[in-house]
Amino acid sequence: MKQDEFGYRIRQALNEGLERLDYRTSYRLQQARQAALARHLSAQPEVGWVPVAQTAGGPPSNAGFSGWMGRLGLAAPLLALAIGIFGIYQYQESRRISELADMDFAVLLDEVPLSTYADKGFGAMLSQDSNEF
Amino acid sequence: MATRDELSEFLASVERRAFKQAQFATRDVDAALDIVQDAMIKLSESYGDRPVAELPLLFTRILQNVIHDHFRRQKVRSTWVTLFSALTPRDDDSADPLETLEALAGSDGAESAADKVERAQVIGIIEEEVARLPARQREAFLMRYWQEMDVAETAAAMGCSEGSVKTHCSRATATLAKALTARGITL
Repeated sequence: MKQDEFGYRIRQALNEGLERLDYRTSYRLQQARQAALARHLSAQPEVGWVPVAQTAGGPPSNAGFSGWMGRLGLAAPLLALAIGIFGIYQYQESRRISELADMDFAVLLDEVPLSTYADKGFGAMLSQDSNEF
Repeated sequence: MATRDELSEFLASVERRAFKQAQFATRDVDAALDIVQDAMIKLSESYGDRPVAELPLLFTRILQNVIHDHFRRQKVRSTWVTLFSALTPRDDDSADPLETLEALAGSDGAESAADKVERAQVIGIIEEEVARLPARQREAFLMRYWQEMDVAETAAAMGCSEGSVKTHCSRATATLAKALTARGITL
């Protein structure tokens, strides 16, 4: 018998054997198929870019009460940042005024060293200050 | 891309044969079922976007890889098991072959007839002898003659040359024919 003919007859016998699988095996194969199909790409939800406001350590917010909380969660850090920047500006401004006042006092009380008057920068600063006021 | 229905149809068409191939390799029904499930899930997850025409070859390769992985894991496990197995009595020899024949005869139910029982026994013996073939010979033989893959496809799936496939098939055929003749089966 030729190899191909022998192979063909074995194939027939093996195919016949497939029809004789018991119910338990057939059922488990069906279950396996369903498990595989559940992981098919078409069964997965489409993933797109969705902007989500999320507080540090908090849950993502997307609807209802949690959405309102999410917006608050986004606004609160922005508000804190604005207050912080304003506070820093105020602190720097008051420090600058304080420095100028100290210098004015020093000039008025004649406590400025003589070498300071020889400095060109000092003269420029005085003329700038006088222009400002 | 294969749709869910196309994939389902494909898996339904190959699942029984895949199970038998895994069973021939492992000689364990539960392990074979696990292997088929793993292979199906891998195909669905990783190659579900491929065209339907590519699925048969992909699935064959995945199935072979999962079977090989099974044996690799088993090899590691058996290193420890063999240390203790020598101390426990083996009861493999206690199985009565007549019980198998009775079970085969009984499974045909009311329609059972002498020729059907005989045919079932012949199929059982053929499956046993296929399972006894060396792994590579069995893989090549089943791909070529059961799955009807050509030599090039079989070589690609097995990761070997076409010449090796022909050699494996030739040896498998000779071994199988000799074994079946020895058991009084003529095809």
